[in-house]
Amino acid sequence: MKFIKKQIPLAIVMVTGLLMVASYYIPHKYSVDYVELMNKWENIVSAFAFLLGLVSLFYSHYGKIKRKADGWGYSLFVYIGFLAMVVPAMMTDGRQMVDGQVTSLGWSFRYIYNALSSTMFAVLAFYIVSTAYRSFRIKSRQAFVLFVAAFVLILGKVPLGQMIWDSLLGWTGQGVADIIEWIMQVPAVAGKRGIMIGIAIGAIVTSLKIIFGIEKQYMGKD
Amino acid sequence: MKETLQKFFKMDRRWIFLVLAVVLFVPIMRPLGLPNKTISRDARNAFDYVDALKPGAFLLLSLDYDPSTRPELHPQAVAVIRHAFKKNLRIGVVTYIAGSTGLIEQIFETVPKDYGKVYGTDYVIFPYMANAAAVMTQMSSDFYGIYDKERNGKPVRDMPVMQGIKNYRDMALVVNITGTSILDWWVAFVGDKYNVPVVGGCTAISQPGYGPYLQTKQLKGLIGGMKGAAEYESLVKEPGKGTSGIDALNLAHLLVLALILTSNIILLIIKHL
Repeated sequence: MKFIKKQIPLAIVMVTGLLMVASYYIPHKYSVDYVELMNKWENIVSAFAFLLGLVSLFYSHYGKIKRKADGWGYSLFVYIGFLAMVVPAMMTDGRQMVDGQVTSLGWSFRYIYNALSSTMFAVLAFYIVSTAYRSFRIKSRQAFVLFVAAFVLILGKVPLGQMIWDSLLGWTGQGVADIIEWIMQVPAVAGKRGIMIGIAIGAIVTSLKIIFGIEKQYMGKD
Repeated sequence: MKETLQKFFKMDRRWIFLVLAVVLFVPIMRPLGLPNKTISRDARNAFDYVDALKPGAFLLLSLDYDPSTRPELHPQAVAVIRHAFKKNLRIGVVTYIAGSTGLIEQIFETVPKDYGKVYGTDYVIFPYMANAAAVMTQMSSDFYGIYDKERNGKPVRDMPVMQGIKNYRDMALVVNITGTSILDWWVAFVGDKYNVPVVGGCTAISQPGYGPYLQTKQLKGLIGGMKGAAEYESLVKEPGKGTSGIDALNLAHLLVLALILTSNIILLIIKHL
């Protein structure tokens, strides 16, 4: 039983993983065919993952409604929102426009999904501005450096800020655009590159641990 | 005096919300027409790369944003499409974000008509696909292995717009406009591996993150945020939502600066009282 539950899955992961890595460097028809096959399987598995996510979401919100947990009323909107998009999608075969006319799915997208999604994101702007006022305190040298960089970037990113800079500091002969260019090209890129290299090394190490069976959490506890 | 100043810190945040709402609302309703003074190097590079393509070249446009990032990214997409149509380029549109499909429909409902472009001849829209990385890899060997039909189920292989297109080698450029990390995937899985030029469009907040790719020319150009959209619109000479939105952006940015300065000046005064 242990052989079926542990050894076989680990062997599948190892062989599949090593073949995928090798196929990246081997430009042969067999390796290309293998990658294509794996990609198709991956797409199929992704589709099932969507379904699994949906079932899990419904199950969790059904539980909240049944228990009358705090905010259970909001859970109803999960089902309402789902039906408002899926029913029109099924009725129109997933088409949002037919012969230049907006279908019921197109209508749901424009006037429900579009509006709700935009509103959710737009609300962030209000919280960011409020937080900037309440929390951006210059209490240390590091905070001061951050403030100066943020100040120059915000000012230089909008035309009105550039005009203010030119009228107040134009005599220095240094345009705000040049300073921004330097900030973006030197310290920002240096920091970002360090983060990217760190993430890449972490991803390689994790992948190798999974391929060689050192990391087995994805298999569950049994 | 000290107590009065401290009251400013405890100000009801709804007052700030109100000021921001006014600052955003007024210029949207009555544009101030502030000039967009400078054009960033990355936006100009993006424009120059598209501009240098020969008429009839195939541009793969990956539009991966949903309504949440629409104000910044939709004007970018419209400006690039207008530019491509002006240059008589062929366009294939793909997406890996389900929420993009409706936004793509909205663009192509109106823009092609302005240039007399015909669906299937000058442009085609492919269906949404999940799992972008797998699809990107698949397209490298046989485009039709993954996209054999367009979004309404019609076969695409024989469409005039797809003539001579089999894989990335036949494409002149990939443009990806996104509020996600899909642009990194286009660079890593397609641009670097198959030597396909990639141009990007992203939100202002993620713009600094692409500096390393721009320095190494892995990205040929980048349109950043609403300002980038306004810059591209001015280069294409087609003012749109990016240009009109820049007024609101101007005032909102300056409001943030003013608030940060005010709070810190108050803090400084309180410390010395």
